[in-house]
Amino acid sequence: MNYWLIFWTASLVIAGISFAVITGIVMVKGYKDLRLMFGRLAEERMHDRE
Amino acid sequence: MHFAAIDWFIVVAYLILSVAAGLLGKKYIGNVSHYLVAGRELGTYAGIATLAATEIGTITFMYNGELGYKYGFAAFAAALISGLVMIVVGRTGLVIERFRALRLMTVPEYFERKYSRGLRLLAGILVAIGGILNMGVFLKIEGEFLTIVSGIDSRYLIAVMTAILLLELVYTVVGGMMAVVITDFIQYVLLSVATIVVSIYAVHHAGWDNIVAKVASTMGSAGFDPIENPKFGITFLIWQVLLWFSIHTCWQTTAMRVFSTRSPEISKRVMTWTGFIYLGRGMLPMLWGAAALTLFGVGALDNGVPLPVVNGQTLAPIDAMPAMLASILGPGIKGIVVAGMLAATMSVNSSYLLGWSAVISQDIILPIREQMGKPALSSRSQIFVNRLANLFVGLFLMFWGLYYTPPGAVYLYLNITGTIYLAGTFICVIGGLYWKRSNTTGGYLAMLMGAAGAIIPFFFLHWSENITGFCAFGLAALGLVLGSLMGKRAAPSSTDARLERALKEAE
Repeated sequence: MNYWLIFWTASLVIAGISFAVITGIVMVKGYKDLRLMFGRLAEERMHDRE
Repeated sequence: MHFAAIDWFIVVAYLILSVAAGLLGKKYIGNVSHYLVAGRELGTYAGIATLAATEIGTITFMYNGELGYKYGFAAFAAALISGLVMIVVGRTGLVIERFRALRLMTVPEYFERKYSRGLRLLAGILVAIGGILNMGVFLKIEGEFLTIVSGIDSRYLIAVMTAILLLELVYTVVGGMMAVVITDFIQYVLLSVATIVVSIYAVHHAGWDNIVAKVASTMGSAGFDPIENPKFGITFLIWQVLLWFSIHTCWQTTAMRVFSTRSPEISKRVMTWTGFIYLGRGMLPMLWGAAALTLFGVGALDNGVPLPVVNGQTLAPIDAMPAMLASILGPGIKGIVVAGMLAATMSVNSSYLLGWSAVISQDIILPIREQMGKPALSSRSQIFVNRLANLFVGLFLMFWGLYYTPPGAVYLYLNITGTIYLAGTFICVIGGLYWKRSNTTGGYLAMLMGAAGAIIPFFFLHWSENITGFCAFGLAALGLVLGSLMGKRAAPSSTDARLERALKEAE
Protein backbone atom coordinates (compact mmCIF):
# COMPACT_ATOMS: atom_id res chain seq x y z
CA MET A 1 0.00 0.00 0.00
CA ASN A 2 2.87 2.36 0.85
CA TYR A 3 4.44 1.96 -2.58
CA TRP A 4 1.13 2.69 -4.25
CA LEU A 5 0.63 5.76 -2.08
CA ILE A 6 4.08 7.09 -3.02
CA PHE A 7 3.37 6.34 -6.69
CA TRP A 8 -0.02 8.08 -6.69
CA THR A 9 1.31 11.07 -4.75
CA ALA A 10 4.13 11.53 -7.28
CA SER A 11 1.68 11.08 -10.20
CA LEU A 12 -0.70 13.62 -8.68
CA VAL A 13 2.07 16.19 -8.21
CA ILE A 14 3.23 15.73 -11.81
CA ALA A 15 -0.36 15.93 -13.07
CA GLY A 16 -1.13 19.09 -11.06
CA ILE A 17 2.07 20.89 -12.04
CA SER A 18 1.73 19.95 -15.75
CA PHE A 19 -1.89 21.13 -15.72
CA ALA A 20 -0.99 24.51 -14.21
CA VAL A 21 2.12 25.11 -16.35
CA ILE A 22 0.49 24.11 -19.66
CA THR A 23 -2.53 26.30 -18.81
CA GLY A 24 -0.21 29.29 -18.31
CA ILE A 25 1.59 28.71 -21.61
CA VAL A 26 -1.63 28.09 -23.56
CA MET A 27 -3.21 31.26 -22.14
CA VAL A 28 -0.44 33.40 -23.63
CA LYS A 29 0.49 31.55 -26.81
CA GLY A 30 -3.05 30.33 -27.61
CA TYR A 31 -4.26 33.91 -27.91
CA LYS A 32 -1.47 34.68 -30.42
CA ASP A 33 -2.35 31.49 -32.31
CA LEU A 34 -5.99 32.53 -32.61
CA ARG A 35 -5.07 36.00 -33.89
CA LEU A 36 -2.78 34.44 -36.48
CA MET A 37 -5.48 32.00 -37.54
CA PHE A 38 -8.15 34.65 -37.97
CA GLY A 39 -5.68 36.93 -39.75
CA ARG A 40 -5.01 34.17 -42.28
CA LEU A 41 -8.69 33.45 -42.76
CA ALA A 42 -9.49 37.14 -43.24
CA GLU A 43 -6.72 37.34 -45.87
CA GLU A 44 -8.12 34.27 -47.60
CA ARG A 45 -11.55 35.89 -47.76
CA MET A 46 -10.05 39.09 -49.22
CA HIS A 47 -8.36 37.01 -51.96
CA ASP A 48 -11.62 35.20 -52.69
CA ARG A 49 -13.44 38.50 -53.10
CA GLU A 50 -10.77 39.86 -55.45
CA MET B 1 -29.67 29.83 -2.09
CA HIS B 2 -25.86 29.51 -1.76
CA PHE B 3 -25.07 32.22 -4.29
CA ALA B 4 -24.19 35.82 -3.33
CA ALA B 5 -24.77 38.82 -5.67
CA ILE B 6 -21.07 38.83 -6.68
CA ASP B 7 -21.36 35.17 -7.74
CA TRP B 8 -24.38 35.91 -9.95
CA PHE B 9 -22.56 38.87 -11.49
CA ILE B 10 -19.52 36.73 -12.41
CA VAL B 11 -21.67 33.96 -13.92
CA VAL B 12 -23.89 36.29 -15.98
CA ALA B 13 -20.87 38.29 -17.22
CA TYR B 14 -19.21 35.07 -18.33
CA LEU B 15 -22.33 33.93 -20.21
CA ILE B 16 -22.65 37.23 -22.09
CA LEU B 17 -18.93 37.27 -22.99
CA SER B 18 -18.99 33.68 -24.16
CA VAL B 19 -22.01 33.97 -26.43
CA ALA B 20 -20.84 37.31 -27.87
CA ALA B 21 -17.38 35.86 -28.63
CA GLY B 22 -18.96 32.79 -30.20
CA LEU B 23 -21.10 34.89 -32.52
CA LEU B 24 -17.93 36.60 -33.80
CA GLY B 25 -16.98 33.28 -35.44
CA LYS B 26 -19.74 33.69 -38.06
CA LYS B 27 -17.86 36.31 -40.05
CA TYR B 28 -15.08 33.81 -40.87
CA ILE B 29 -17.39 31.17 -42.35
CA GLY B 30 -16.84 30.99 -46.11
CA ASN B 31 -17.28 27.30 -46.90
CA VAL B 32 -18.09 24.00 -45.23
CA SER B 33 -14.48 23.33 -44.19
CA HIS B 34 -14.49 26.61 -42.25
CA TYR B 35 -17.72 25.52 -40.56
CA LEU B 36 -16.59 22.01 -39.62
CA VAL B 37 -12.79 22.09 -39.31
CA ALA B 38 -11.97 25.81 -38.90
CA GLY B 39 -10.45 25.96 -42.39
CA ARG B 40 -7.68 23.59 -41.12
CA GLU B 41 -5.85 26.61 -39.70
CA LEU B 42 -5.49 25.62 -36.04
CA GLY B 43 -2.06 26.11 -34.46
CA THR B 44 -0.53 24.13 -31.59
CA TYR B 45 -1.63 26.21 -28.60
CA ALA B 46 -5.14 27.07 -29.75
CA GLY B 47 -5.38 23.36 -30.67
CA ILE B 48 -4.45 22.31 -27.13
CA ALA B 49 -7.01 24.76 -25.69
CA THR B 50 -9.87 23.57 -27.89
CA LEU B 51 -9.06 19.85 -27.51
CA ALA B 52 -8.72 20.13 -23.72
CA ALA B 53 -11.88 22.26 -23.40
CA THR B 54 -13.83 19.81 -25.57
CA GLU B 55 -12.99 16.84 -23.41
CA ILE B 56 -13.16 18.51 -19.97
CA GLY B 57 -16.73 19.18 -18.92
CA THR B 58 -18.72 19.33 -15.72
CA ILE B 59 -19.69 15.76 -16.61
CA THR B 60 -15.95 14.85 -16.51
CA PHE B 61 -15.58 16.41 -13.05
CA MET B 62 -18.71 14.63 -11.84
CA TYR B 63 -17.86 11.10 -13.00
CA ASN B 64 -14.23 11.38 -11.96
CA GLY B 65 -15.30 12.78 -8.58
CA GLU B 66 -17.65 9.80 -8.21
CA LEU B 67 -14.79 7.38 -9.02
CA GLY B 68 -12.53 9.08 -6.44
CA TYR B 69 -15.29 8.90 -3.83
CA LYS B 70 -16.07 5.20 -4.45
CA TYR B 71 -12.63 3.76 -5.21
CA GLY B 72 -10.13 6.20 -3.67
CA PHE B 73 -6.63 6.47 -5.12
CA ALA B 74 -7.02 3.20 -7.06
CA ALA B 75 -9.23 5.16 -9.51
CA PHE B 76 -6.17 7.24 -10.48
CA ALA B 77 -5.17 4.28 -12.69
CA ALA B 78 -7.93 5.20 -15.19
CA ALA B 79 -6.69 8.81 -15.35
CA LEU B 80 -3.07 7.73 -15.72
CA ILE B 81 -3.92 5.40 -18.61
CA SER B 82 -5.97 8.06 -20.44
CA GLY B 83 -3.09 10.57 -20.24
CA LEU B 84 -0.26 8.16 -21.06
CA VAL B 85 -2.11 6.65 -24.03
CA MET B 86 -2.73 10.16 -25.40
CA ILE B 87 0.97 10.99 -25.09
CA VAL B 88 1.86 7.74 -26.94
CA VAL B 89 -0.66 8.58 -29.72
CA GLY B 90 0.82 12.07 -29.99
CA ARG B 91 4.44 10.91 -30.05
CA THR B 92 3.89 8.09 -32.56
CA GLY B 93 1.16 9.79 -34.65
CA LEU B 94 -0.79 6.50 -34.58
CA VAL B 95 -3.85 7.01 -36.84
CA ILE B 96 -4.01 10.78 -36.30
CA GLU B 97 -1.08 11.64 -38.58
CA ARG B 98 -2.61 9.64 -41.44
CA PHE B 99 -6.12 10.99 -40.75
CA ARG B 100 -4.88 14.57 -40.92
CA ALA B 101 -2.88 13.87 -44.08
CA LEU B 102 -6.10 12.64 -45.75
CA ARG B 103 -7.84 16.00 -45.05
CA LEU B 104 -10.98 14.38 -43.62
CA MET B 105 -13.85 16.22 -41.91
CA THR B 106 -15.46 13.30 -40.06
CA VAL B 107 -14.29 9.82 -38.98
CA PRO B 108 -16.89 7.87 -41.03
CA GLU B 109 -15.73 9.77 -44.15
CA TYR B 110 -12.63 7.57 -44.04
CA PHE B 111 -14.85 4.47 -44.41
CA GLU B 112 -16.05 5.57 -47.84
CA ARG B 113 -12.54 6.48 -48.96
CA LYS B 114 -11.10 3.11 -47.88
CA TYR B 115 -14.06 0.71 -47.91
CA SER B 116 -17.44 1.68 -49.40
CA ARG B 117 -20.24 4.23 -49.19
CA GLY B 118 -22.49 1.65 -47.51
CA LEU B 119 -19.97 1.11 -44.74
CA ARG B 120 -19.65 4.88 -44.29
CA LEU B 121 -23.41 5.04 -43.84
CA LEU B 122 -23.41 2.16 -41.31
CA ALA B 123 -20.50 3.73 -39.41
CA GLY B 124 -22.24 7.12 -39.53
CA ILE B 125 -25.46 5.68 -38.08
CA LEU B 126 -23.64 3.80 -35.29
CA VAL B 127 -21.41 6.78 -34.48
CA ALA B 128 -24.39 9.16 -34.35
CA ILE B 129 -26.58 6.86 -32.22
CA GLY B 130 -23.76 5.90 -29.81
CA GLY B 131 -22.50 9.49 -29.59
CA ILE B 132 -25.87 11.12 -28.98
CA LEU B 133 -26.88 8.51 -26.38
CA ASN B 134 -23.51 9.02 -24.74
CA MET B 135 -24.07 12.76 -24.63
CA GLY B 136 -27.66 12.17 -23.53
CA VAL B 137 -26.70 11.87 -19.86
CA PHE B 138 -24.68 15.08 -19.76
CA LEU B 139 -27.44 17.65 -19.18
CA LYS B 140 -29.05 15.96 -16.21
CA ILE B 141 -25.76 15.41 -14.37
CA GLU B 142 -24.49 18.90 -15.19
CA GLY B 143 -27.81 20.26 -13.93
CA GLU B 144 -27.41 18.34 -10.67
CA PHE B 145 -23.99 19.90 -10.18
CA LEU B 146 -25.30 23.39 -10.80
CA THR B 147 -28.32 22.92 -8.52
CA ILE B 148 -26.24 21.62 -5.62
CA VAL B 149 -23.43 24.20 -5.84
CA SER B 150 -25.52 27.30 -6.54
CA GLY B 151 -28.51 26.27 -4.44
CA ILE B 152 -30.99 26.93 -7.28
CA ASP B 153 -34.31 25.27 -6.50
CA SER B 154 -34.41 21.88 -8.26
CA ARG B 155 -37.84 22.81 -9.71
CA TYR B 156 -36.03 25.26 -11.98
CA LEU B 157 -33.40 22.74 -13.08
CA ILE B 158 -35.04 21.96 -16.44
CA ALA B 159 -35.52 25.65 -17.23
CA VAL B 160 -31.90 26.47 -16.34
CA MET B 161 -30.41 23.61 -18.38
CA THR B 162 -32.68 24.38 -21.33
CA ALA B 163 -31.52 28.02 -21.26
CA ILE B 164 -27.85 26.93 -21.21
CA LEU B 165 -28.38 24.50 -24.09
CA LEU B 166 -30.12 27.23 -26.12
CA LEU B 167 -27.20 29.61 -25.54
CA GLU B 168 -24.76 26.94 -26.75
CA LEU B 169 -26.96 26.22 -29.74
CA VAL B 170 -27.10 29.89 -30.76
CA TYR B 171 -23.38 30.26 -31.32
CA THR B 172 -22.68 26.69 -32.47
CA VAL B 173 -25.39 26.74 -35.15
CA VAL B 174 -24.36 30.18 -36.36
CA GLY B 175 -20.57 30.01 -36.14
CA GLY B 176 -19.75 26.27 -36.33
CA MET B 177 -16.16 25.30 -35.50
CA MET B 178 -15.01 28.95 -35.75
CA ALA B 179 -17.32 29.89 -32.86
CA VAL B 180 -16.42 26.75 -30.95
CA VAL B 181 -12.67 27.43 -31.20
CA ILE B 182 -13.03 31.01 -29.92
CA THR B 183 -15.32 30.08 -27.04
CA ASP B 184 -13.23 26.99 -26.22
CA PHE B 185 -10.21 29.22 -25.64
CA ILE B 186 -12.07 31.46 -23.16
CA GLN B 187 -13.71 28.43 -21.57
CA TYR B 188 -10.43 26.51 -21.28
CA VAL B 189 -8.79 29.37 -19.38
CA LEU B 190 -11.74 29.71 -17.01
CA LEU B 191 -12.22 25.99 -16.36
CA SER B 192 -8.49 25.49 -15.74
CA VAL B 193 -8.41 28.31 -13.19
CA ALA B 194 -11.48 26.79 -11.50
CA THR B 195 -9.86 23.33 -11.47
CA ILE B 196 -6.70 24.61 -9.81
CA VAL B 197 -8.66 26.71 -7.26
CA VAL B 198 -10.94 23.80 -6.30
CA SER B 199 -7.97 21.40 -5.93
CA ILE B 200 -6.24 23.78 -3.52
CA TYR B 201 -9.45 24.34 -1.54
CA ALA B 202 -10.27 20.62 -1.37
CA VAL B 203 -6.87 19.59 -0.01
CA HIS B 204 -6.77 22.58 2.34
CA HIS B 205 -10.20 21.80 3.86
CA ALA B 206 -10.03 18.00 3.99
CA GLY B 207 -6.28 17.75 4.75
CA TRP B 208 -3.98 15.45 2.75
CA ASP B 209 -3.24 13.14 5.71
CA ASN B 210 -6.96 12.90 6.52
CA ILE B 211 -7.78 11.97 2.92
CA VAL B 212 -5.16 9.19 2.93
CA ALA B 213 -6.33 7.94 6.35
CA LYS B 214 -10.04 7.96 5.33
CA VAL B 215 -9.38 6.02 2.10
CA ALA B 216 -7.19 3.53 4.01
CA SER B 217 -9.75 2.99 6.80
CA THR B 218 -12.71 2.70 4.39
CA MET B 219 -11.23 0.60 1.59
CA GLY B 220 -7.97 -0.79 2.94
CA SER B 221 -5.28 -1.51 0.33
CA ALA B 222 -7.99 -1.78 -2.39
CA GLY B 223 -8.27 2.01 -2.14
CA PHE B 224 -4.70 2.33 -3.42
CA ASP B 225 -3.96 -0.80 -5.46
CA PRO B 226 -6.01 -0.90 -8.72
CA ILE B 227 -5.12 -4.55 -9.31
CA GLU B 228 -6.43 -5.60 -5.90
CA ASN B 229 -9.59 -3.44 -6.14
CA PRO B 230 -12.46 -5.78 -7.13
CA LYS B 231 -14.02 -3.16 -9.44
CA PHE B 232 -10.81 -2.81 -11.44
CA GLY B 233 -8.11 -5.52 -11.76
CA ILE B 234 -5.92 -6.42 -14.71
CA THR B 235 -8.85 -6.91 -17.15
CA PHE B 236 -10.11 -3.38 -16.42
CA LEU B 237 -6.68 -1.88 -16.96
CA ILE B 238 -6.14 -3.62 -20.32
CA TRP B 239 -9.66 -2.70 -21.48
CA GLN B 240 -8.96 0.93 -20.52
CA VAL B 241 -5.77 0.93 -22.62
CA LEU B 242 -7.71 -0.36 -25.66
CA LEU B 243 -10.60 2.02 -25.05
CA TRP B 244 -8.41 5.09 -24.68
CA PHE B 245 -6.43 4.26 -27.82
CA SER B 246 -9.74 4.16 -29.68
CA ILE B 247 -11.08 7.35 -28.05
CA HIS B 248 -7.96 9.42 -28.73
CA THR B 249 -7.87 8.35 -32.36
CA CYS B 250 -11.50 7.79 -33.43
CA TRP B 251 -13.79 9.78 -31.11
CA GLN B 252 -15.49 12.24 -33.46
CA THR B 253 -15.04 15.37 -31.30
CA THR B 254 -11.36 14.63 -30.64
CA ALA B 255 -10.73 13.70 -34.27
CA MET B 256 -12.29 16.99 -35.46
CA ARG B 257 -9.52 18.87 -33.61
CA VAL B 258 -6.93 16.71 -35.38
CA PHE B 259 -8.62 17.47 -38.73
CA SER B 260 -8.63 21.21 -37.89
CA THR B 261 -4.87 21.56 -37.33
CA ARG B 262 -2.58 23.19 -39.88
CA SER B 263 -0.50 20.02 -40.47
CA PRO B 264 -0.06 16.40 -39.34
CA GLU B 265 2.97 17.49 -37.29
CA ILE B 266 0.89 20.06 -35.36
CA SER B 267 -1.82 17.46 -34.71
CA LYS B 268 0.81 15.21 -33.07
CA ARG B 269 2.10 18.07 -30.92
CA VAL B 270 -1.43 19.03 -29.82
CA MET B 271 -2.15 15.42 -28.83
CA THR B 272 1.12 15.01 -26.89
CA TRP B 273 0.72 18.13 -24.75
CA THR B 274 -2.98 17.57 -24.17
CA GLY B 275 -1.98 14.14 -22.83
CA PHE B 276 -0.31 15.86 -19.87
CA ILE B 277 -3.49 17.89 -19.27
CA TYR B 278 -5.43 14.61 -19.33
CA LEU B 279 -3.49 13.39 -16.29
CA GLY B 280 -4.86 16.34 -14.29
CA ARG B 281 -8.29 16.12 -15.98
CA GLY B 282 -8.76 12.75 -14.31
CA MET B 283 -6.69 12.82 -11.14
CA LEU B 284 -7.64 16.26 -9.79
CA PRO B 285 -11.44 15.66 -9.71
CA MET B 286 -10.79 12.16 -8.33
CA LEU B 287 -8.90 13.87 -5.51
CA TRP B 288 -11.95 16.13 -4.94
CA GLY B 289 -14.08 12.98 -4.68
CA ALA B 290 -11.73 11.48 -2.09
CA ALA B 291 -11.78 14.79 -0.19
CA ALA B 292 -15.61 14.72 -0.23
CA LEU B 293 -15.48 11.17 1.19
CA THR B 294 -13.25 12.47 3.98
CA LEU B 295 -15.55 15.37 4.84
CA PHE B 296 -19.00 13.79 4.35
CA GLY B 297 -18.59 9.99 4.17
CA VAL B 298 -20.40 9.09 7.39
CA GLY B 299 -23.67 7.49 6.16
CA ALA B 300 -24.80 3.90 5.76
CA LEU B 301 -22.48 1.59 3.84
CA ASP B 302 -23.18 1.16 0.13
CA ASN B 303 -20.94 -1.54 -1.40
CA GLY B 304 -18.50 -1.02 1.46
CA VAL B 305 -18.31 2.79 1.11
CA PRO B 306 -20.26 5.14 3.44
CA LEU B 307 -22.83 7.32 1.65
CA PRO B 308 -22.31 11.09 1.94
CA VAL B 309 -24.43 12.91 4.51
CA VAL B 310 -24.72 16.70 4.16
CA ASN B 311 -26.82 18.77 6.58
CA GLY B 312 -28.54 15.60 7.76
CA GLN B 313 -29.50 14.56 4.23
CA THR B 314 -28.08 11.41 2.60
CA LEU B 315 -26.89 11.95 -0.98
CA ALA B 316 -25.71 9.72 -3.83
CA PRO B 317 -21.88 9.38 -4.07
CA ILE B 318 -21.82 11.37 -7.35
CA ASP B 319 -23.37 14.38 -5.55
CA ALA B 320 -20.81 14.42 -2.72
CA MET B 321 -18.24 16.48 -4.65
CA PRO B 322 -20.60 19.36 -5.63
CA ALA B 323 -22.00 19.35 -2.07
CA MET B 324 -18.45 19.77 -0.79
CA LEU B 325 -17.87 22.73 -3.13
CA ALA B 326 -21.10 24.38 -1.94
CA SER B 327 -19.88 24.09 1.63
CA ILE B 328 -16.18 25.06 1.35
CA LEU B 329 -16.13 27.86 -1.26
CA GLY B 330 -16.76 31.45 -0.19
CA PRO B 331 -18.59 34.27 -2.08
CA GLY B 332 -16.76 35.37 -5.23
CA ILE B 333 -14.71 32.17 -5.40
CA LYS B 334 -17.93 30.21 -5.76
CA GLY B 335 -18.95 32.45 -8.69
CA ILE B 336 -15.58 31.90 -10.39
CA VAL B 337 -15.81 28.13 -9.90
CA VAL B 338 -19.42 27.92 -11.16
CA ALA B 339 -18.53 30.12 -14.16
CA GLY B 340 -15.58 27.76 -14.75
CA MET B 341 -17.85 24.74 -14.58
CA LEU B 342 -20.39 26.42 -16.87
CA ALA B 343 -17.51 27.11 -19.24
CA ALA B 344 -16.57 23.43 -19.09
CA THR B 345 -20.19 22.44 -19.73
CA MET B 346 -20.62 24.79 -22.68
CA SER B 347 -17.32 23.91 -24.35
CA VAL B 348 -18.09 20.19 -24.23
CA ASN B 349 -21.71 20.51 -25.29
CA SER B 350 -21.05 22.88 -28.19
CA SER B 351 -18.25 20.66 -29.52
CA TYR B 352 -20.35 17.53 -29.15
CA LEU B 353 -23.34 19.20 -30.84
CA LEU B 354 -21.11 20.12 -33.77
CA GLY B 355 -19.40 16.70 -33.83
CA TRP B 356 -22.52 14.55 -33.93
CA SER B 357 -24.44 16.88 -36.24
CA ALA B 358 -21.46 16.81 -38.65
CA VAL B 359 -21.75 13.01 -38.78
CA ILE B 360 -25.53 13.18 -39.37
CA SER B 361 -25.19 15.70 -42.20
CA GLN B 362 -21.94 14.54 -43.87
CA ASP B 363 -22.12 10.77 -43.33
CA ILE B 364 -25.84 10.01 -43.31
CA ILE B 365 -27.83 12.68 -45.17
CA LEU B 366 -25.34 13.54 -47.96
CA PRO B 367 -24.43 9.92 -48.90
CA ILE B 368 -28.14 8.98 -48.98
CA ARG B 369 -28.84 11.93 -51.28
CA GLU B 370 -26.00 10.91 -53.58
CA GLN B 371 -27.20 7.30 -53.55
CA MET B 372 -30.62 8.55 -54.68
CA GLY B 373 -28.94 10.19 -57.67
CA LYS B 374 -29.44 13.76 -56.50
CA PRO B 375 -26.77 16.34 -57.45
CA ALA B 376 -24.04 17.21 -54.91
CA LEU B 377 -24.91 20.10 -52.58
CA SER B 378 -23.06 23.40 -52.72
CA SER B 379 -20.88 24.39 -49.76
CA ARG B 380 -23.56 26.86 -48.66
CA SER B 381 -26.28 24.20 -48.73
CA GLN B 382 -24.04 21.79 -46.80
CA ILE B 383 -23.63 24.40 -44.06
CA PHE B 384 -27.43 24.78 -43.99
CA VAL B 385 -27.90 21.00 -43.62
CA ASN B 386 -25.28 21.00 -40.83
CA ARG B 387 -27.15 23.75 -39.01
CA LEU B 388 -30.43 21.82 -39.25
CA ALA B 389 -28.70 18.66 -37.92
CA ASN B 390 -27.26 20.74 -35.09
CA LEU B 391 -30.74 21.94 -34.14
CA PHE B 392 -32.08 18.38 -34.29
CA VAL B 393 -29.37 17.04 -31.95
CA GLY B 394 -29.94 19.97 -29.57
CA LEU B 395 -33.70 19.39 -29.41
CA PHE B 396 -33.25 15.63 -28.92
CA LEU B 397 -30.87 16.24 -26.02
CA MET B 398 -33.25 18.71 -24.44
CA PHE B 399 -35.94 16.04 -24.14
CA TRP B 400 -33.87 12.87 -23.68
CA GLY B 401 -31.05 14.32 -21.60
CA LEU B 402 -33.16 15.87 -18.89
CA TYR B 403 -35.26 12.80 -18.16
CA TYR B 404 -32.97 9.78 -18.61
CA THR B 405 -30.93 8.57 -15.61
CA PRO B 406 -27.96 6.27 -16.35
CA PRO B 407 -27.62 3.06 -14.30
CA GLY B 408 -24.50 2.47 -12.13
CA ALA B 409 -21.28 4.53 -12.21
CA VAL B 410 -21.55 7.21 -14.92
CA TYR B 411 -17.93 6.72 -16.06
CA LEU B 412 -18.60 3.06 -16.86
CA TYR B 413 -21.94 3.84 -18.58
CA LEU B 414 -20.17 6.35 -20.84
CA ASN B 415 -17.41 3.82 -21.58
CA ILE B 416 -19.87 1.12 -22.58
CA THR B 417 -22.07 3.33 -24.80
CA GLY B 418 -18.89 4.58 -26.48
CA THR B 419 -17.63 1.02 -26.98
CA ILE B 420 -20.77 0.14 -29.01
CA TYR B 421 -19.28 1.91 -32.01
CA LEU B 422 -15.68 2.59 -30.96
CA ALA B 423 -14.69 -1.10 -31.01
CA GLY B 424 -15.68 -1.59 -34.68
CA THR B 425 -14.60 1.88 -35.78
CA PHE B 426 -11.14 1.63 -34.20
CA ILE B 427 -10.48 -1.85 -35.60
CA CYS B 428 -11.66 -0.80 -39.11
CA VAL B 429 -9.49 2.32 -39.02
CA ILE B 430 -6.40 0.45 -37.79
CA GLY B 431 -7.01 -2.30 -40.38
CA GLY B 432 -7.65 0.19 -43.16
CA LEU B 433 -4.59 2.32 -42.44
CA TYR B 434 -2.05 -0.36 -41.54
CA TRP B 435 -3.19 -3.70 -43.07
CA LYS B 436 -3.33 -3.88 -46.86
CA ARG B 437 -5.48 -7.05 -46.86
CA SER B 438 -8.45 -5.40 -45.05
CA ASN B 439 -11.57 -5.10 -47.21
CA THR B 440 -15.24 -4.07 -47.11
CA THR B 441 -16.55 -7.48 -45.99
CA GLY B 442 -14.15 -7.37 -43.04
CA GLY B 443 -15.23 -3.78 -42.32
CA TYR B 444 -18.93 -4.69 -42.14
CA LEU B 445 -18.23 -7.70 -39.93
CA ALA B 446 -16.02 -5.63 -37.60
CA MET B 447 -18.65 -2.89 -37.16
CA LEU B 448 -21.53 -5.30 -36.57
CA MET B 449 -19.64 -7.75 -34.35
CA GLY B 450 -18.10 -4.89 -32.33
CA ALA B 451 -21.56 -3.39 -31.67
CA ALA B 452 -23.07 -6.81 -30.84
CA GLY B 453 -20.08 -7.58 -28.58
CA ALA B 454 -20.86 -4.48 -26.51
CA ILE B 455 -24.67 -4.63 -26.48
CA ILE B 456 -25.43 -8.34 -25.90
CA PRO B 457 -23.02 -9.12 -23.02
CA PHE B 458 -23.73 -5.88 -21.12
CA PHE B 459 -27.45 -5.30 -21.60
CA PHE B 460 -28.72 -8.90 -21.99
CA LEU B 461 -26.19 -11.20 -20.30
CA HIS B 462 -25.32 -8.62 -17.58
CA TRP B 463 -21.58 -9.31 -17.78
CA SER B 464 -19.21 -6.81 -16.15
CA GLU B 465 -18.00 -3.74 -18.06
CA ASN B 466 -14.46 -5.11 -18.26
CA ILE B 467 -15.44 -8.41 -19.88
CA THR B 468 -17.92 -6.62 -22.17
CA GLY B 469 -15.16 -4.27 -23.34
CA PHE B 470 -12.85 -7.17 -24.15
CA CYS B 471 -15.64 -8.96 -25.93
CA ALA B 472 -16.47 -5.96 -28.15
CA PHE B 473 -12.88 -5.25 -29.22
CA GLY B 474 -12.07 -8.96 -29.61
CA LEU B 475 -15.12 -9.69 -31.77
CA ALA B 476 -14.52 -6.58 -33.91
CA ALA B 477 -10.92 -7.68 -34.58
CA LEU B 478 -12.05 -11.22 -35.33
CA GLY B 479 -14.70 -9.88 -37.73
CA LEU B 480 -12.20 -7.74 -39.64
CA VAL B 481 -9.66 -10.55 -39.99
CA LEU B 482 -12.17 -13.27 -40.93
CA GLY B 483 -14.12 -11.03 -43.33
CA SER B 484 -10.97 -9.72 -45.00
CA LEU B 485 -9.50 -13.20 -45.45
CA MET B 486 -12.77 -14.67 -46.76
CA GLY B 487 -13.77 -11.74 -48.98
CA LYS B 488 -12.21 -10.60 -52.25
CA ARG B 489 -8.74 -9.05 -51.94
CA ALA B 490 -9.26 -5.27 -52.24
CA ALA B 491 -7.53 -3.48 -55.12
CA PRO B 492 -5.19 -0.66 -53.94
CA SER B 493 -7.48 2.37 -53.58
CA SER B 494 -6.82 5.96 -54.58
CA THR B 495 -6.95 6.72 -50.83
CA ASP B 496 -3.88 4.52 -50.22
CA ALA B 497 -1.98 6.31 -53.00
CA ARG B 498 -3.11 9.73 -51.76
CA LEU B 499 -2.05 8.85 -48.24
CA GLU B 500 1.41 7.72 -49.38
CA ARG B 501 1.83 11.01 -51.27
CA ALA B 502 0.61 13.15 -48.39
CA LEU B 503 2.86 11.42 -45.87
CA LYS B 504 5.89 11.84 -48.16
CA GLU B 505 5.06 15.54 -48.60
CA ALA B 506 4.75 15.95 -44.83
CA GLU B 507 8.18 14.37 -44.35
